[in-house]
Order: sequence, then C-alpha cells, then structure tokens
Amino acid sequence: MAAEVSVPSTPAWARWIRAKLGRRTVPYLLLVPGGLWLLFFYVAPVAQLAAVSLQEGTFETGYLLTWRWANYTDALRTFSSQFIRSFVYAGVATAAALVIAYPLAYAIAFRGGRFKNLLLVMVLMPFLTPFLLRTLAWKVILADSGVVVGALQSIGVLAENGRLLATGWAVVAGITYNFLAFMTLPIYVSLEKIDPSLIEAAQDLYASPAVAFGKVTLPLSLPGIVAGTLLTFIPAAGDFVNAQLLGNPQQLMIGNVIDSRFLRVLDYPTAAALSFTLMIVILSLIIPYVRAAGTEELVA
Amino acid sequence: MTASVTSRQGVRPRGRLLSFIRRHALSFYAAVALGYLFLPVAVVILFSFNDNRGRFNFTWNGLTLKHWANAFEIPNLFDSLVTSLQIAFLSALVATILGTLIALALVRYSFRGRSTTNLLLFLPMATPEVVLGSSLLAFYLTLGVARGFWTVVVAHIMFNISYVVVTVKARLAGFDRDLEEAAMDLYANEWATFRKVTLPMIMPGVFAAFLLGFALSFDDFIITNFNSGQTVTFPLFIWGAARVGVPPQVNVFGTAIFAVTVSIMFINLALQRRQT
Amino acid sequence: MTSSTEREQRLTGPEAGESPAVDLTSVTKSFGKVIAVDDVTLSIEENQFFALLGPSGCGKTTTLRMIGGFEEPDSGDIRLYGEPVTGLKPYQRPVNTVFQSYALFPHLTIFENVAFGLRRRGIDKKQVRNQVNEMLDLVKLPGLTDRKPTQLSGGQRQRVALARALINHPRVLLLDEPLGALDLKLRKEMQIELKRIQHEVGITFVHVTHDQEEAMTMADTIAVMNEGQIVRLGSPAEIYEDPRSSFVAGFLGASNLLPVASVDGRNVVLEDGTRLHAPDGAELSPSMSLGVRPEKIRLHAPDASDLPANVIRGHVVDTSYVGISTQFLVTTPFGASITAVMQNVDPVSFRRGDEVLLGWNPDHSFVIDGS
Repeated sequence: MAAEVSVPSTPAWARWIRAKLGRRTVPYLLLVPGGLWLLFFYVAPVAQLAAVSLQEGTFETGYLLTWRWANYTDALRTFSSQFIRSFVYAGVATAAALVIAYPLAYAIAFRGGRFKNLLLVMVLMPFLTPFLLRTLAWKVILADSGVVVGALQSIGVLAENGRLLATGWAVVAGITYNFLAFMTLPIYVSLEKIDPSLIEAAQDLYASPAVAFGKVTLPLSLPGIVAGTLLTFIPAAGDFVNAQLLGNPQQLMIGNVIDSRFLRVLDYPTAAALSFTLMIVILSLIIPYVRAAGTEELVA
Repeated sequence: MTASVTSRQGVRPRGRLLSFIRRHALSFYAAVALGYLFLPVAVVILFSFNDNRGRFNFTWNGLTLKHWANAFEIPNLFDSLVTSLQIAFLSALVATILGTLIALALVRYSFRGRSTTNLLLFLPMATPEVVLGSSLLAFYLTLGVARGFWTVVVAHIMFNISYVVVTVKARLAGFDRDLEEAAMDLYANEWATFRKVTLPMIMPGVFAAFLLGFALSFDDFIITNFNSGQTVTFPLFIWGAARVGVPPQVNVFGTAIFAVTVSIMFINLALQRRQT
Repeated sequence: MTSSTEREQRLTGPEAGESPAVDLTSVTKSFGKVIAVDDVTLSIEENQFFALLGPSGCGKTTTLRMIGGFEEPDSGDIRLYGEPVTGLKPYQRPVNTVFQSYALFPHLTIFENVAFGLRRRGIDKKQVRNQVNEMLDLVKLPGLTDRKPTQLSGGQRQRVALARALINHPRVLLLDEPLGALDLKLRKEMQIELKRIQHEVGITFVHVTHDQEEAMTMADTIAVMNEGQIVRLGSPAEIYEDPRSSFVAGFLGASNLLPVASVDGRNVVLEDGTRLHAPDGAELSPSMSLGVRPEKIRLHAPDASDLPANVIRGHVVDTSYVGISTQFLVTTPFGASITAVMQNVDPVSFRRGDEVLLGWNPDHSFVIDGS
C-alpha cells in the first residue's frame, strides 16, 4: 500500500488575509511599519523644521508662524562666514580624504590578494573607538609640545611658536581623519569590481601601466569616487565636534552655530533656517548624482 | 644564439632598485596609511595608562595601571556606558526588524512607489546629523514631549533603518530563489519556507545589520546631543567632560570597547572562513 | 645590449622574414609547486593558423600568455621573428590578444574600444576613423560604432574583440578560447569566419582551445598538450590518423585500442590468438596496442563475402541512431568492446543481438607504443 503524503495546508488565518487583501498588498504590508516610522520621525520633523524656520518670537514669548522669510536672509547675512568656512573645510577635507584613500583602496584591491578582507577590516577597526575619543586623541597628537608640531617647526613650515591646535588646519585634519573610512570603502568596492583582464587588454593594446590606469581603471572607479565624496562631504559639512575640540571660537563652523542657537541661545527660528539652508545646499549637490545614477543606486 | 636561462636580461643594479621601489611603493604607502589610521587609537590606548597630573589627560607623564584598577571609580561614567548599551541594543533591534521587512519588500516584489521608497530611505543618510537632530528636537518641542531616554531611542531607530535596509538588501540580492522553490516543492508553505529557509540564510546579513545599527547608535553624538534631555550617554559624558578634563577612565573604557569589538570582528571572520 | 625600444622597433620592421613567427625554446613556467609548462620547445611558422589543443590545466593558456607577455617564463627563451622578447611588456610586443571574456572596455563605445590601440600609438584622427570602419566591415559589424559593449550580443562582442586586436596589424594574433561562450551554431559560424579572416589578413593566428573538433576545423597545425608538455605536433589529419599515444588517440575523436600479445612478421596477434594485419610501415613490438577508429570499421553479416583484410567476429550489444550515422557497440568473444560508426546511407540493417563481422583495412589502423 502506498504511503499517503499529507501536505500541510496554509493556516486559516493566512488564507483569510490572502483572500481579503490579495497578493499585491504584501509588499505594502512589509513597508508599512518602517515606512511609518520614517514618515513620522523623519519627514514630519523636517517639515516641521521648515515651518519653524519661518516663525518668529523668542523662547519666552512663544513662536508664531508668520512666514518670516527674513529669517533666512538674516541668518545668511550674519553667519555667512561660518557657512563658507564649513564648506571650505569640508571641501578641503574631502579632497584630502580622496587623495589619501584612493591609493589605499587601490593597494588593497589590487595588491591585497588573500588578505583583502583582513585589510578592509583593519581600515574599519580604528572607527570602533568612540568618535569623540578619536578626536581628543588628535588633540594630543597635534599638541604644542608634541612630536608633530616640533617636527614642523624644525623644518620651518610652522613658525617658532606656531600652533596647529586651535587653527583651521587641525579642524580639517580631524575631519579628514574621521571620515576616511567613508571614502575608502566605496572606492574599494568599485575598484574590486574591475575585471583584471580589462587591464591586461589595455596593456595588450600598447597602453603603459600609467596610461592603462588613466584610461581604464580610473574611469571605471568613478562611481566609487562619487559615492565616497558624497558620503564624506555631507557629514563633514555639518560637523561641529572637530571644530569644537580642535579649533578655536573665532573659527566656528555652521554646525557649531546651529548647535548653540538651538541648545544655548534658544533662537529656534534662526537655527531652523540655518539647518534648512544647509540641507538644501547638500541636496542640491546630490540631485545631479541621483539624476545620473537613478534611484535604485541610492540604496545600493 | 644561445638559449638564455634567466628571464630578465641585462637590467643594471640601479634599474633593479628603482623597479623594486616602484613595485613596492604602493604596499609601502598602504602600510603608512594604515599606520595613520591607527595612530589615534594607539594614543587612546596609551593614554589609558597615563599617570596624568590634574584633571586633563593631554601630556604624557608616565605609566600607571591605576586607572585600569579604578575603572569604576567615576559613577556617572559607568552609568553613561550602561545607558548607551541599552539604547544601542533597543534601537538596533527595532531598526533591524523594521529594516529587514522593508528590504524584503524591495528585493522580492515590484510595486508602485518603489522610487519614492528608495528616496525616503536615502534621505536620512544624506541629511547632516545637525539637521536630523535639530528637526527632531523641534518636533518634540512642538509635541510637548519631554526629552530623555526614549526620545533618543526613537531617534536612533530612525536613522538606523536606512543602514539596515542597505545591509540586508545586499545580502538578499545574492540569495538564490531556487532554494525557496525547492522548499515549496517539498511541501513547505510560504511561512514555513520563510522560517526554515529564507530567514536562516539571510541571518548573517540581518545580524550584520544589527551590529552596524548597534555600533552607529553607541557612537552617536550629534543627534543624541539634541534629543537627550538629562539622559547622559557615553559620548555625551565625554563631550561634557572635555571642557573640564576627561578622566583617563574614559580611555580605559574606550580601549575595552575597542578590544571587545575587534575580537568580535575576528571571531566573525574566522566563523565566515569556516563556512565557505 | 640593445634597449627594449630598439628591440621593439626591429620586431615591426620588414626584414624579419626568414625566422619562424614564434619560437619557444625550453620554456618552463611553474606556479608554486605546480609545473604549468614543462620544458616546451615549439616553432610556429608565419601565416599559419596554429592551434594549442589540450584538456584544462595542460598549460596551453599559460604558454599563450607567455607569448603575449602577461607571464614571464622561469627559464627558456621566447622569440618573435627571431628577436628575443623576454622581459618585454605586453605593450612592447607586436602581438595582440583576443581574451576569453573579450575584455571590452565597458565605459567606452565600440568605436573607442576598437580604436584604443591606434590611439595609444598616436595615429591621427582621420586615419583612425577610416581604419576602424574598415575593420568593423571586415568582421561584418558595420554601423555599431556608438553602442556600448553591454548593448551587444555575445557574438557581436566577440567580433569587436577581434577587430580591436586585428586593427593594430600584429605580426601574431593570440586567441584564448574566444569561442567558448558562444552557443553551438554561432560557434560553428565563427570558426569558419575566423579561418576566412586569417586567410584574408595573412598573419599568424595562435588559437588555444580544448575543443578538438574546433582545432581540427580551423587549424593548419595542431600542438596537443598534456600536463605541461607537447605530446603531438602535426596537421589535423596527421594527428588524427597517427596519434602515436593513447592520450592523443582518446583526446581527438574516439578510438578502439586492442592490446597486442605478440608479433608475427607483418601480423599482430591478440591475446585470444586472433591474427590481424598491421598497417604498412609501422614499427611493431609486442608491447604495443593496435588502434582503429570507429568510422574505419564496417559491420558485415556473418555470411558476407568480399570482406576486408582484418576481420573480427562479435555481436551487437547496443545501437545509437544519430541521424547522420549509427553507432554500434559490439563485444568480441575475447571480451573487448568495440565501437563502430557507419554512415546511414541505406537503412540500418543490424540490430541488438545480431552476430556480425567487424572488418577494416589494415592501412586504416595505427599502432601505439607502450601504454
């Protein structure tokens, strides 16, 4: 007698759900919890921020939505130097990070061999110490009595009692360091994807190693460079920790201003206007990228 | 017309040295770059042994183990650590669940509103932390919500979701659908297939996402600063102490955290090596 | 000591006519403990379609890569048209390669891909345009200049890779299993195409493949490689009809090998006493095997007259009808299994279980020494 196979059937509640809602709603059901969370705790607050930026008043008197566009112009006028400084610092730091990270990523991708994964882990490891501790460590490294300052003084780059701390240089150095992993990883990923036979083909077609790099490797690693640049510049522009710990009060970044406006001065409309301006500027940098790469690329 | 025995003909000694340098310059640079990356870490570890004078810990004064011995001396420090761990665990857990669901939807199904979803997930990653933090603060103020432990958790969940989605999605994309079809061919319904086949196979990616969320939350400063009220997390403690003098015990715990996470990473690598 | 640029120039000069196109002398290459190429000596004449044939891991690809400059031999000498090339990088050698994966640059258009080599050598724009179009016509792909490689089919990409290499007028073209990724029909078309192009362009092609049918279709001369060494060198017909080793006999087509027990004049005697005539002119020894290919054997009814010189009795165990031909598996009284293939001119008249006579002309067989 042939054994009977009992096939487990779909439980009744599942059948009911499927009947009522149909196949097509499954994706939406999956999206709802997370999506709602983001809508409620990201979109709403940001929209709210836009509203606050157009209010006026003080903490004591309360705030009123008066569509005060002047908040923006006032804020920009007062803090234009901080804005510019932020973008300059972030730009220099991003460029420096690119210069440092690209050869490192290249070395791991093309010379790493069996140790590629290990080397990648080693690139990430320093970022497992707290952000603040790392930045404070730079305070030690760049201290006036430290080795670095001493060396720079002796070769004449720094004046006799020149400092690194409390200057823009220290801040930029801190920012470059702190976001280096964000630059290295995307570049590594796009370099790793390059088929090595493409480089051999270029050499077969009379390209010297330098030319092969410029004509084949570099263009093909461009997506990684763009991603790394964005991932570095965005947090760098809004950072204020490095400026606070390594810089001086005369050279604040826009992040410092927003922080103090919000938490100390309690001038919410101005702070909101500044925040929103920062966000708009950054978005305007990203939009051409999105247009070129398409939205699928955004979430990898 | 002799057959030559060696492959390199007539490269003079100086040329040899140059080509050696050229070939190894890149590896040499990589070593220097890695040294640069580890320099602050070395400083942090080193200064946990510093016999510092006064409240500041910036100049080297000699070796001592007393900070390690008295690691728990400072009450607020240890409390802030515990708070950070709790927040990190909770926010990573919730974000991982929410994010995994979204990742499943994105990879498995085609639906309208896909681009919007992608955009919505991307925006938090593209927004500077000052904006994220300050907008949530304004939001809480409007709602009249007191800032504290739970507002921080909520904020951390919010920014972790995107990172979870990216991580899980990468893992899901490489997943072979045939395995699920095989399971269904062998009488497993959708839920059983998910439980017995899909979930175990994406578990490494989900776990990696959890760890990422945990790390991001634990280390977060800016957003937490805006939304924490009176609650003090480890980064906030450091920030507050930075002005009056960061006790070396902070370095001790920083080193400990580093050591623990590095060990976890290596164990994970070793396990992965065993699997493949 | 001539500098590498001087050597490079001499290789592209006109006076290198007498030497063989490619000359390998005692070339050895190891990767760690594995000896990939074991003391190989080989001469390839110019204007030939030359094939390196063998199973995976036999060293054929490594040999090709050493000619191209992507690997350097551990010892031994490689010359192109008489000029030594050891130490020269790929971009300094007058050879070009068609890669197995085609290696088309995904970020460049077809035009720029094909023009790549010309641009590196500084050819002026107008010339480049003319030559690219001419070359695309040669490979029968006109009008695709503005597309990107990802927009082309596998067969089209293959032709672009070919055009990109040929346009540089190399003295030797190296092809690394270029047809492997194509489907059967396309592969057969391309085999004929490649042969036509080689004739038209008139340069030496060195083609690596593991497909013996492909090698025999296209090549003028084949070198069969196994475990890092060349085991047989000759034209397709020479190699096929006279394999000289059981490896080659088995690698190219199928063959029936009958171990010989003793020799008696011009006859060989099998283990069970059957006497067979040996092929004319073969050197006989008691340790050899007698080989005969399936298509050389005809089946005859037991009572047939007009039989060839060598006949064995057997009965049919299996038949396979393959359209063009029918394959018969026949066992002999002494236990051997013999495969015979006959073209289906008349309807098949032998079935499973039939007693048959297997007959062949002694000159259609070959002998293999030792193993």
